[in-house]
Amino acid sequence: MMCSPGRRRRFVCALILALASLVSATIGAVADDVPTVRIGVITPRDIMGPEYSWGGTLDQLSSALPQYRFVMEVFDRDRSRDAVENQKVDFIIGNPAQYVEMEADFGISRIATVEFADGPAPSSAIGSLIFTRADRTDIKTLDDVRGKRLVAIESVLFGGFSLGWLELKKHGIDPFHDTQSLEFVGEPVEKVFATVADGSADVGIARTCYFERLVAAGEISAGEFAAIDGQTPARLGCLTSTPLYPDWPFSKLSHTSDALAKQVAQALLAMPPDENGVSWTIPVDYQPVQSVFRTLKIGPYADLGPRDPWQILSDNWQWVAAALLGLAWVLVSLARVQYLVRLRTQQLNDAHLMARRERENLEHAARLSLMGEMASSLAHEISQPLAAIVNYARGCQRRMSSGTRIEEIEPGMAQIVVQAERATSIVRRMRDFVRKRPPVVAPVRIREILEETLEFFRPLAERQGVLLIYEAPDALPIVNVDRIQIEEVLLNLLQNAVDACKGSDVRQVSITLSIETESVLISVSDTGPGMSEETRSRLFEAFYTTKPEGLGLGLSLSRSIVEAHGGRLIGENLDAGGTQMSFSLPVSQE
Amino acid sequence: MTSDLSPTVFVVDDDPAMRDSLVFLIGGVGYACTAFASAEEFLAQLHPGQTGCLVVDVRMPGMSGLDLQKELNARNATLGVIIVTGHGDVPMAVRAIRDGAVEFLEKPVNDQVLLDKINEALKRSEAATALWHHREDVNARRASLTPRESDVLDLVVAGKPNKTIASDLNISVKTVEVHRHNVMEKMGVRSAVELARLFSSCLGDNP
Repeated sequence: MMCSPGRRRRFVCALILALASLVSATIGAVADDVPTVRIGVITPRDIMGPEYSWGGTLDQLSSALPQYRFVMEVFDRDRSRDAVENQKVDFIIGNPAQYVEMEADFGISRIATVEFADGPAPSSAIGSLIFTRADRTDIKTLDDVRGKRLVAIESVLFGGFSLGWLELKKHGIDPFHDTQSLEFVGEPVEKVFATVADGSADVGIARTCYFERLVAAGEISAGEFAAIDGQTPARLGCLTSTPLYPDWPFSKLSHTSDALAKQVAQALLAMPPDENGVSWTIPVDYQPVQSVFRTLKIGPYADLGPRDPWQILSDNWQWVAAALLGLAWVLVSLARVQYLVRLRTQQLNDAHLMARRERENLEHAARLSLMGEMASSLAHEISQPLAAIVNYARGCQRRMSSGTRIEEIEPGMAQIVVQAERATSIVRRMRDFVRKRPPVVAPVRIREILEETLEFFRPLAERQGVLLIYEAPDALPIVNVDRIQIEEVLLNLLQNAVDACKGSDVRQVSITLSIETESVLISVSDTGPGMSEETRSRLFEAFYTTKPEGLGLGLSLSRSIVEAHGGRLIGENLDAGGTQMSFSLPVSQE
Repeated sequence: MTSDLSPTVFVVDDDPAMRDSLVFLIGGVGYACTAFASAEEFLAQLHPGQTGCLVVDVRMPGMSGLDLQKELNARNATLGVIIVTGHGDVPMAVRAIRDGAVEFLEKPVNDQVLLDKINEALKRSEAATALWHHREDVNARRASLTPRESDVLDLVVAGKPNKTIASDLNISVKTVEVHRHNVMEKMGVRSAVELARLFSSCLGDNP
């Protein structure tokens, strides 16, 4: 049922409500227990006098809706929030500021606004009076308030402070910062007037109409104070320094059923003014109240908008401190990780370098050892051309002293040169082989390595009565290797094979080269007795050797050289007797 | 290969440089000099009764210098042998000398020493060759004897009188005298003393 606020209609509504309540009352009498409807009332703190008393309202509701038992409970401001939050009441009556806050916080909604007979309009009922002592000629306008001492009852009051604050703010004055002092003296309101009167404060802020009421009560004299920027709106009949805002609303809580709220609203609207002149009208717009809060960033808007960053920091210092500690910890950890990574990388590089040097030293030792094993053969290889040179030279001398023709001497001289070059090349080769040097990997024809090594080694083998047999296909690939290292491997295998043949009747060492899919396989096999089981299992063990003059490094290093080139070195006994050592080298893809 | 047996120096060495240089050196002082790469090649062409000197390396693939020397001894070759060794192997040297090597030289060989030794060896070889020819001659003469004449010769050389020979061979003294005459004639001597001297001369330089 709709009831418009018109006067004539109101009567009709009241009639209908009365009829309805009769029906309800009958039903209520029949019912065993009457449901209780609790109405919370928040005591006005800065208001004295009878206006905001709700006895008449309670009577009206009880009589209009007899099917319910209406109970009214009075709360102070703080307890009222608890009552609403925990749904201890079904309705609440409070001032506009409290309403706006609880609407935002707990979802209450207004169903009526109070109206006073002969009072201000419900939408324009509350303002602030900003006043000073009448004799303060230095304070004429709100602009003069800057730098003065202010006084009010309490900071949370709507009419008693917030509206005055807003007005001052409109004039660019923040009462908290732009004044000499701001004092809240507490209730009752007389204290505010007294403080201004005795000169302890320059400017006071109070809810509208208190001044007039105190004057009427004879508490203060009207001429003692002067309103600042004051006006007296016609319907209000009181001095105000600010615009006026809506009067108190009657609100339902979120849990209260719409049906009950509707019945209560109808009863309220139908209520004639009681002995205090209180009646109810349709709820007015409380948006202006909200905009006050929004502007002042108080109440429901206290957490909104840009705020002083230092304020935020100091409000949340625990979190800020924790975050800073966390950040510091992360930074320290990062720095530590960075440092450790650098340190470990350095250590790894050092270790690599040292391992490489060790390996190079070992390889060098192995090459020296191999040369040592070949020393007597090599000495013979060198002394042979030298002895030949001596023979040629002596032959030349004798021919010269006996006056032979020069043509006979010439071939001898030529041979001296040839033999000297032969000796030199052997020496140079040995020096290259044993020289310490970093490995240089380059593409080389495998045939060149093989044939040059054999050319060098063949006389040494034949001197020990061993025949070298070399077999290789015509087309041979290019390999990416360190030449000297591969020669070392070959010489090792050849020397081992020749040593193995020493005691055999047939002394042959075969070198075969075959091409596989992506590698070349080089095999060196001998006609020796083959390897014992122990030798075969310890073949690549460092310092394991079967030769009295050996270091036992040759094969172990040969294997690491071959593996470093991406190949494999294996040793096996041949079915026909003898040993075969084979190693593979990947073919260069270029 | 020439079959005239004029004095020649034979160089046997598997190392071509050493071989050729020795030929150059030895040839330079006027000796006829021939070289071989192995003992086998050398033996294949060696003529018995050859005068000359062999210079051989002790270490060679196949037949070694010492093996070659042994083989020459077995063949009663009349060559002077000089074994060259780079290894100063004392037992090897001892064996070489015991087996009758003329000389044993250690590398590096001084050219003068080598040439002197070659010279000495050639001289000895000439004497040995002469003896060899003499012995061949005596053997040839003796080969012309009948078995019975040969038996008589052995007993004559042993210094037995005809009567003893006749009784030993169970023939008459007269028959012995006929055989003896034929022996003296075939061997080219006139008396038993000359015959004994002929055989002793076949034993060589050392009496």
